Order: sequence, then C-alpha cells, then structure tokens
Amino acid sequence: MPKTVLLIDDEQGFLEPLADALEYEGHRVLKARSASEGLALLKAERIDLVTIDIMLDPGPELAGSVDEHNAGLFLCRYVQKNYPKMDAFCISVVTDVGLIRQIEACGVRFLRKGETPLRTVLNMLRSRLTGLAYSSEREKRRKDDAGVGD
Amino acid sequence: MPTESTDVYDLKRQIERLEKECEGLQQRLSDVERDRVEYLQNVSHQIVAPLNAIKWHIENLTETRVSIDRAKKVLRSIYSQATLAAHLAKNFRLMSNLETEHALSALKEPLQEVELCRLLVNLADDFQPLAWDRDIKIVVDDNPFASAPPVLAMRPLIIQVFSNIIENAVKYADSGTTILISGEYVSGSDCVVVRIKDRGISLTEADTKKVSQRGFRTDEAKRKYPAGTGFGLYIARRIIELHEGSITCEMRNLDVVFSVTLSVRGLEGKARTRSAKDRSAN
Repeated sequence: MPKTVLLIDDEQGFLEPLADALEYEGHRVLKARSASEGLALLKAERIDLVTIDIMLDPGPELAGSVDEHNAGLFLCRYVQKNYPKMDAFCISVVTDVGLIRQIEACGVRFLRKGETPLRTVLNMLRSRLTGLAYSSEREKRRKDDAGVGD
Repeated sequence: MPTESTDVYDLKRQIERLEKECEGLQQRLSDVERDRVEYLQNVSHQIVAPLNAIKWHIENLTETRVSIDRAKKVLRSIYSQATLAAHLAKNFRLMSNLETEHALSALKEPLQEVELCRLLVNLADDFQPLAWDRDIKIVVDDNPFASAPPVLAMRPLIIQVFSNIIENAVKYADSGTTILISGEYVSGSDCVVVRIKDRGISLTEADTKKVSQRGFRTDEAKRKYPAGTGFGLYIARRIIELHEGSITCEMRNLDVVFSVTLSVRGLEGKARTRSAKDRSAN
C-alpha cells in the first residue's frame, strides 16, 4: 500500500535518487530543502515516514533560533515530541558520536550518508514502510520478479 | 655578588615564566589543531559528497527501471556532481599553493591569449546542469562581450577564478532566478571587465569588502549552505592578484555583482622581461 514519505535534505544529489527510487516503488514522496519547509510539511501533511539530514539550512522561519550545523536535530526532537509513532530516519554525514547519540535518543535511526549504499537505505525504509522485517533474500526475490539484475 | 639562594630563586621564577609560556603555546597549538581538523572535515565532506551522490545516482539507474527521459535526467545530475567534484578538487590543490609565497612559483604557467567570452560560455554550459537542479538559468550576454580582445593570462588559473564565482552564484542564488554574465573591453585602460550577477544573498557594504577574505562567510551564506569553506572567492582574488587585475563585489538593488578586470597586456611586459632573463641565464 502506497505511503507518504517526507525527505528533508538540502543536497539535491542525495535527495533526487532517493526520491526517484521511492516513487518507483509507488510511494508518494514530498521533498523539503530546509528545516522550515520540512516543519511546514510535517504539520500540513499526513506523513508515514520521514528522513532528516542534520547539517541543513534552517530556512527563514527557523533562522536565528536553530543552529545551521544541526538544524536536523531540532527536527528529530520535534518529530519525537509531536509524532512519536512516525517512522523517522536520519541520513547525514555527521561523525560526532555525541551528536549521533542525541539523534538516536530521539528514537531516530541513524544512517551515514555516503557510506550507506542507496539499496541499504531503501531496504531499511521499505522494511519500516511495509512492516516486514529487513531481508536481503526478499529484496533479491523482489528484484528477480522485477527482472532487475545485480 | 648574588648568593646561591638568589640564583635558585631567579631560576625558579624563570622556570615558572617558561611554564606559563609553554601553557600558552600549548593552548594556541590545540586551537590551530581544532581549526585544522574542522577545515579537513569540511574539505573531505565537500569533495566526497558529490562522489557519493554519483554512486547513489548510478545505483538508482541500475536498480530500478527508468524511462529514457528519466535516465537522461539522472545522467545530467551525475554530470553536474562530477563537475562539482572536479572543481572542488582543483580548488583544494590551488589552496595549498596559494597559502605560501614560495609555493606560488609552482602555480606559474605560461601566459597565453584567453578569449574570456568563449571561456565564460564554456563554463556556463559546464555549470548549467548543476544550476538546473535548482531551477537556475545561466545566461551569457555576448554583446559586446564577444568583440572584446583576448587577455594574456594563465589559462587554467583564470578558468578556476570564473568557475569559483559561477559556482558560488549557483550555490547561493534563489531558485528560479537567472545568473547573468556580461563583459566589455575598456579601451582607456586596455582592460576587459567581466561581470557576474546573481540574486539570492543580501550583502552589506562591509560584507562586499570581505567576501574574498580567506574563510569569510556571511551568516546568510552559512544558513543557506552550512558545509561551505569560504575559500572559493579567496582563491579567485589571489589568482586575480597574481595577474595584477582586480576583483570587486557590490550590491545593485537586490543583485550581487562580481566584476573582474584583467588587463589585455598587463603581464605581457613582465613575461618578456622574465624570458629575456631566462635566456641570459642559460
């Protein structure tokens, strides 16, 4: 069943391929390029799953009140507080262990951008969206069915 | 004549002073080390990010079924990310040479005639896929730019100057706007002036004076693009200084305008002097 996914990231190079792949699977994808845009969509739409970047443009509404080096952390906390049942992932390049702990303390799964292959990210998101456990075997069958080879 | 106890006292005072100095130096060293780590993290992120984005694009092409139109769009994105990666790698190579005067000689290249209009058209085409990602158009107004005479310059370095200014404009211009590049020959000073205009960031007069300082970034620029280093325009200024030209920045209404002035014959005389010296040395 198609779900609505919100991707919050100001790096087009990562946003587009992830959006493409999720749309290909039939999901409705919303994109936000700043924390302010992300916040507005969280409030206005019924979101099933959100992915959040950390080093993010706060955008006009949050400028001054949110640090641009971790505007995404503000969103992680906002989601935890206001939408505790929403599936949330953080996809970011941050390496600061303290910061990653703060992200995970919000109940948000951390995936390192760049190091994590797109297929791994998709498998993780798919697992949350479908409620089925992560399985590389099922992933292989899905691709075999679709006629897509490795 | 000092007693033994006075000598010991003086020595103690001296050791205490040296210990304090040592503490101060250790503090400065750890500050420098922190800045260095931050700089390397930024550099590494900026170079690695486009390469990782390319990997995701390729996975996207190979893992999912895509239409020809969609594949073309993905390939354009790969091209734009590769442009960015190559551009940044050149910047960081230049950065290490520009920091020290003795290393500047490593940068020196033979002067050659450079047609700036043609060069800017090529760069506009190179950066346009990146600009399209943000719905930004790059336009070169070739009238009267195309009729300007060539300038004598170190071509690869001049390419980097204009790449940096255009990349900066693409990064900070508002979506849906146009970056306008124009130029003209100024016969009185025998110079070619190139202007690059974009709309996106608002600079104060003080900011316009500081934009090409090493590491300077306005608060608005940091908000729009947190991972930047503030080196692009610094590199551009240093290269233009090597050519004894000028680079200025000003606000015209809501637009940021960079003007680069290069003399048509500015370094010609010096080049001749150098080659004459080289000949006599040989």
